[in-house]
Amino acid sequence: MQGTKLGDYIIEVDRIHKTFPDGTQALYDFSTKIRRSEVVVVIGPSGAGKSTFLRCLNGLEDFDKGTITIDGIPLDDNKENRLEIRKEVGMVFQLFNLFPHMTVLENVNLAQMLVRKKDHKEATKVTMSLLEKVGIPEKVQSYPSQLSGGQQQRVAIARALAMVPKVMLFDEATSALDPEMIGEVLDVMKTLAQEGMTMVVVTHEMGFAREVGDRVIFMDEGRTVEEGSVEQIFSNPQRARTRQFISQIL
Amino acid sequence: MPPVNSPISRRPWFPAIRSPWSDIIKFLLVLAALAWLLYRGTKSLGYNWQWHRVSRYILSVKDGKVIFGPLIQGLLVTLRICGWSLVFSFFFGLSTALLRMSDSLVGRGVARSYLELIRNTPLLVQLFFLYFVVAPVLGIDRFTAGVLALSLFEGAYASEIFRAGIASIARGQWEAAHSLGLSTFHTYRYIVLPQAIRYILPPLTSQAVALIKDSALVSTIAIYDLTMQGQVIISETFLTFEIWFTVAAIYLFLTVVLSTMADIIADRLKTGS
Repeated sequence: MQGTKLGDYIIEVDRIHKTFPDGTQALYDFSTKIRRSEVVVVIGPSGAGKSTFLRCLNGLEDFDKGTITIDGIPLDDNKENRLEIRKEVGMVFQLFNLFPHMTVLENVNLAQMLVRKKDHKEATKVTMSLLEKVGIPEKVQSYPSQLSGGQQQRVAIARALAMVPKVMLFDEATSALDPEMIGEVLDVMKTLAQEGMTMVVVTHEMGFAREVGDRVIFMDEGRTVEEGSVEQIFSNPQRARTRQFISQIL
Repeated sequence: MPPVNSPISRRPWFPAIRSPWSDIIKFLLVLAALAWLLYRGTKSLGYNWQWHRVSRYILSVKDGKVIFGPLIQGLLVTLRICGWSLVFSFFFGLSTALLRMSDSLVGRGVARSYLELIRNTPLLVQLFFLYFVVAPVLGIDRFTAGVLALSLFEGAYASEIFRAGIASIARGQWEAAHSLGLSTFHTYRYIVLPQAIRYILPPLTSQAVALIKDSALVSTIAIYDLTMQGQVIISETFLTFEIWFTVAAIYLFLTVVLSTMADIIADRLKTGS
């Protein structure tokens, strides 16, 4: 079944290294390939380099060695390539990062109008349909401070989707939410996965990983310890470190 | 551990509700004391107060027409100088702040040298340098030289205000903007500056007030601003005390109006979000 759903490789990460200025080595010789429509769940203890990996994928973080190619575009020092990749890669943050001085409508419209050069009417149409999709069309004129955490995160997802990205990155998108709000955000993410969005998800929600993940990467100390299908990693991990981590979180 | 209700924090001898009258009376007493001191001092100097002669230097009516006296004309010059200088000092301040925060080594170097140069030399010397050295070379008039000196000077201080305001915006805002593909210019224009302006406005107002006060220095290069007109009137009439009091009051009026306007804008910004 997976063979028919998945396409060619859209993300190719080849042997990247990343050391922070303070000397911490966040990524060490890290490689992976992600297919179109694949949902990759990245797990691991904190400090494993999961977020750094994600942030490298859209150029928020520079890496020292190696190459990243997204949909055929190399992520290098070329500014236009970087901008192109950022347009194609949407990101959802742990702390939402909505623009507090703008309404929901303005938050979602902004990049459509500035980057995709749509006029206000066109952008608003897209925004309304996306708010419909994430389930809060009635909040279109609210400011972020008037929304709950779950609602803010759903707006943030809509804002990223408005750019019509080819890849969506989720950096612990539910970690800052109250327990009763996690479900509504995960539901939106599940819908996206079912629609065939390519997703790289850093999360501690193992239920979500089991339900929609095509592949799990278990990272520790900046490297891949083990990767494989959800069944493989959760039910039959090969490495001792993986077994130890899985037993702690399940 | 000190007792919770220590006598210092309770201050039992202090009445809970104070009548405003006690404050008003104290204020009037202080004013009266100052006035008395002034009166005593000027009397011992043998100063002859002639307030009635001041009004014609502000406004006069001739043949049913209102004529601006020299003080008002000076005020208009001061306003023109301050207006231009304000615009340019914001421009210099913002561009210097952006340069200092840019990736360009040259840009940071230029911004840094400008700040050090301006902040470590007296404004009066800068003014003379621009007027006596730069102006003849570049062929600019004294008004432009004055505006340039003031705006370069205030711009250096304004740039630190802009920089602090911009730095106060959370990193996540930048990251969200970048992840959406917004350029650095758009990020500043739509995300960072609109949020930073609330932190920037109060200190920037103080800077604008400082600019108005410092503008009095342009009288030294013979620009007929408020201060210069005051000096001229005094040299003709010997109304030293009356004119300086009046000039000071006009500056005070200007700066108070400016601060009040800034307060109103700040309130608007607060309720806007």
